[in-house]
Amino acid sequence: MSREGQRLGCGGAGGIGIGVLSLDMLGQVLDRLREPRDHKACRLVSHALERAEAAHRRALRALRREPLPRLLRAFPALEQLDLSACASLDDASLAAAVAGADLGIRRVCLARASGVGWRGLEALVAACPRLEAVDLSHCVGAGDREAAALAAAAGLRELRLDKCLGVTDMGLAKVAVGCPRLEKLSVKWCREISDIGVDLLAKKCRELRSLDISYLQVGNGSLKSISYLGKLEELAMVACSCIDDEGLELLSKGSNSLQTVDVSRCDHVTSQGLASLIHGHNFLQKLHAADCLHEIGQCFLSKLATLKETLTVLKLDGLEVSVSLLEAIGEGCDNLVEIGLSKCSGVTDEGISSLVARCSHLRTIDLTCCNLITNNALDLIADNCKMVECLRLESCSLINEKGLDWIATCCPNLKEIDLTDCGVNDAALQPLAKCSELLILKLGLCSSISDKGLAFISSNCGKLVELDLYRCNSVTDDGLAALVNGCKKIKLLNLCYCNKITDGGLIHLGSLEELTNLELRCLARITGIGISSIAIGCKSLIELDLKHCYSVDDAGLWALARYALNLRQLTISYCQVTGLGLCHLLSSLRSLQDIKMVHLSWVSIEGFEMALRVTCGRLKKLKMLSGLKTVLSPELLQMLQSCGCRIRWVNKPLVYKD
Amino acid sequence: MSSCSSPWKSTMDGNQNDICGQSANLTSNPLYYQFGLDNPLFGMGIQQPFPPSTSPFGASSSTNIPHMDWKPAMMLDNLTFIEEKIRQVKDVIRSMVDNGGQLPGRTGDIVQQQQAVNADLTCLIVQLISTAGSLLPSLKNSSFLSHPPAGHMDMANHVGSSSSMVPYTTISEENNEDTKDGDEGGDAGMDGENLLPGSYELLQLEKDEILAPHTHFCSICGKGFKRDANLRMHMRGHGDEYKSPAALAKPPRDASTEHAMVKRYSCPFVGCKRNKLHKNFQPLKTILCMKNHYKRSHCEKSYTCSQCHTKKFSVLADLKTHEKHCGHVKWLCSCGTSFSRKDKLFAHVALFQGHTPALPSEESKVSDQVGRVGSHQEPAKLTSSMGSFMWDNSSGDDTVLDIKGLDSCGDDFLSTANFGSFNFSFGPLDEIKGNPSEGSFAMLPSEHFQSVREKGEN
Repeated sequence: MSREGQRLGCGGAGGIGIGVLSLDMLGQVLDRLREPRDHKACRLVSHALERAEAAHRRALRALRREPLPRLLRAFPALEQLDLSACASLDDASLAAAVAGADLGIRRVCLARASGVGWRGLEALVAACPRLEAVDLSHCVGAGDREAAALAAAAGLRELRLDKCLGVTDMGLAKVAVGCPRLEKLSVKWCREISDIGVDLLAKKCRELRSLDISYLQVGNGSLKSISYLGKLEELAMVACSCIDDEGLELLSKGSNSLQTVDVSRCDHVTSQGLASLIHGHNFLQKLHAADCLHEIGQCFLSKLATLKETLTVLKLDGLEVSVSLLEAIGEGCDNLVEIGLSKCSGVTDEGISSLVARCSHLRTIDLTCCNLITNNALDLIADNCKMVECLRLESCSLINEKGLDWIATCCPNLKEIDLTDCGVNDAALQPLAKCSELLILKLGLCSSISDKGLAFISSNCGKLVELDLYRCNSVTDDGLAALVNGCKKIKLLNLCYCNKITDGGLIHLGSLEELTNLELRCLARITGIGISSIAIGCKSLIELDLKHCYSVDDAGLWALARYALNLRQLTISYCQVTGLGLCHLLSSLRSLQDIKMVHLSWVSIEGFEMALRVTCGRLKKLKMLSGLKTVLSPELLQMLQSCGCRIRWVNKPLVYKD
Repeated sequence: MSSCSSPWKSTMDGNQNDICGQSANLTSNPLYYQFGLDNPLFGMGIQQPFPPSTSPFGASSSTNIPHMDWKPAMMLDNLTFIEEKIRQVKDVIRSMVDNGGQLPGRTGDIVQQQQAVNADLTCLIVQLISTAGSLLPSLKNSSFLSHPPAGHMDMANHVGSSSSMVPYTTISEENNEDTKDGDEGGDAGMDGENLLPGSYELLQLEKDEILAPHTHFCSICGKGFKRDANLRMHMRGHGDEYKSPAALAKPPRDASTEHAMVKRYSCPFVGCKRNKLHKNFQPLKTILCMKNHYKRSHCEKSYTCSQCHTKKFSVLADLKTHEKHCGHVKWLCSCGTSFSRKDKLFAHVALFQGHTPALPSEESKVSDQVGRVGSHQEPAKLTSSMGSFMWDNSSGDDTVLDIKGLDSCGDDFLSTANFGSFNFSFGPLDEIKGNPSEGSFAMLPSEHFQSVREKGEN
């Protein structure tokens, strides 16, 4: 519980202080609470606050389906409903939850709610007349019928259908006709959609501002249709291999007001096409051209200069760049905020020098795999770009503590730094500790980082949210002890292959209450005891990876089953668990939706059968050995699939790593 | 064929007018007429390769060069070049004439020289053509050239070129590429459908002939065949004299038939537009066209589609074409209109406000999906098939859950009352002892598990 929560809680305990305030006032107070945990505390200590919350609560994220009907009635002011993590949600339960209610919900997130079909959506749309935004992404089973159900919501403004693999032109046409006020639409990965569908969409939804057609098989014809969308500002067409320069030229002749264009991985787009695009859209702000260009023509550079005032984001990943090119960019676009040069060959200190000389507003610099740059480049960045917040330097092995020292000194706003595989040591972390704003720190594969370095980090980086120590195998339990001392806000922690860590270290980690994702792959020394302390201490844990943790046994699973109630993703491949532990785990964890259990050699076939039956359709993803495919009962597999579970069968030999 | 010919009607009518207009012109200029005959491959004005001064058709061409779009300076250059070249060739030939008697033994040299001369001459011709070709744009607008005598051109295919025309035919071959993209080079002009009456040989077969299944009959046994080649193969059985390569070979096209008039066909059905007595008579082009036309228009439709049992056809090929599409997904609009093609449906939907594509009916959709991936559309059915296995957990849970479900931070959710019994053979039972979750298993009657096992072993 945070300090705010505690203070309010105390007030409630007094009994008088809170009660005299009006519901409105209390609502205002509650609006200012950020952590869900604090909301709960308030609700528990004071009836007044509970009533205020009931009247004021706008957003709700349901984790299980059973309380859903009551929750929707308890919070009449709800506007946002997130059902993406709601385990075993299906048509019947969704329809029952919304049945008969006149809800004011505007936004619904159903991402990965693979159990929900068109019947549920129809009921939802009917019950929420004010629906404005729906996210149905990654419901791979969703198709035209689901799209048609959503099309009944005439007021829809935002719709995400990413990876709804069954959606075809027909479904898109349904949406286009049914929701003429659509402003944002994403049909990424809906591979069945063709030019015909996009054309109709462009004719019917004239209000579109943002459109994502990435990974579609559409051609230049679509771009021609899209070019007539007068209000279009954002267009993403990642990996549309049928689109080429001709299409971009058609687009440039259109009437839209494009600000953001993403042509990453469009194999047939060249700098010529981009030049014509820029020619038509003088107010382009963001241009993503990662992994599509092979060389930059002079025409593109001269056009780029016309975007001098507006361009803020430029991504050129995978391009062969030269000093002159970087110089031209630096001179042409001095308002750049973000530049992506990931995997660009030919980026040198000289190039960086000419780039940053004019671009003093840069906040994000991605130099992943630009392995020619040295400390000099870092010095130049530090000198010129004081606002830098994000610096990605993966595999830049020529840099060391000297360069980082200057960065840390000059750029106090640094929030994210990626030093994966840079070979930096503890000495580099000492200066980095000066960056008290640091949120994300990635130190994977830097095997010389030890407890000492972690102690530096924990001394000043109290805001750290994500820490990646993948294969930092000098880190021991003491390092973790030091870490949790200072960095209590860590949510994501990767300790894979740090094989010196034992249960003692995990006991320290137990004090990280906000930890959500923990990866402990291949820590052969940890046992059920360590897992227990994590399960008990890390109450927010959502994802846990225990692959190749050979000493973890049923005791660990019992602890997880008992305490890790928010756990959604779990990997226990190669663990020494039995069928009994597995059964108990799967029957108890009601939020669990994704489990990987390959090579559980101690679990019998009956064990798997039983364990999977007790999940009662909560699982959405499952990874198992393909040998089990034939021995598990067909009706079990059918039942799993009917509840929207995707099973990934793997066939690999049992290999023990250390 | 009727369906195919009707769209052409209007253009043909138009062309006929043109031809009428030209005929006066043509008859008054016999030279031109012949010229037209000789250049079947060109839409128009292939005669321009010849500079005005050298044109054999001086009269007509001189009246038809109103503009001077080409650059005089360039033209002069070209002409100078040609002149120079001619002089060179002349020199060579002169030297050949001079040396001819003196060196009779060196025939190789002479052959070489002749080849060189030939090459030079070819070069000259090409140069002449390209020079004259630059005049082409200026001639384009001239009145008579822009309307080629299309009907006659078609006939020209069958008219052999006289010896005097040889150079012109070579010219036309070389220049073919250049004029291809001319405005008039379309199929319409070459169609031959607007032949003048009398310019072709008109044939009218009788009904029996048309409907006869075979057109080639064995002269010995009387067996009929559709194709002459099949007849020839058949003839082998009648004796060795039919097995010779000459007898089996395709009969060579008679030289005389090449020059014969174009054949056109008339439908025997009086009153039909394709009948020669009709006042707007339009002949049929080939014998196949006529057969199909007669069957489609004047015969009973005896072939019925085996899928829809409604569509009938009199030509077998039409039935086969229909059957390819029959029964395929119909693209339906919410207004009830159906389309055979998706793009047509989408164009319709785009045009009319409020219309929307209709998805296939419910039943077929569901059955589709069940077949496809054991769909999630039918949980109820599957549940019932699971027998005692799908414990109804939702009813039990509702009593346990309270508002804590909101953040799910409560720790009293370990209700496994809905969970099955555990006394079976995997994992050592001892491990349960001393576990933090004692009492959380409410055992179900063991017959539940028995059924599980049976199912599992299936």
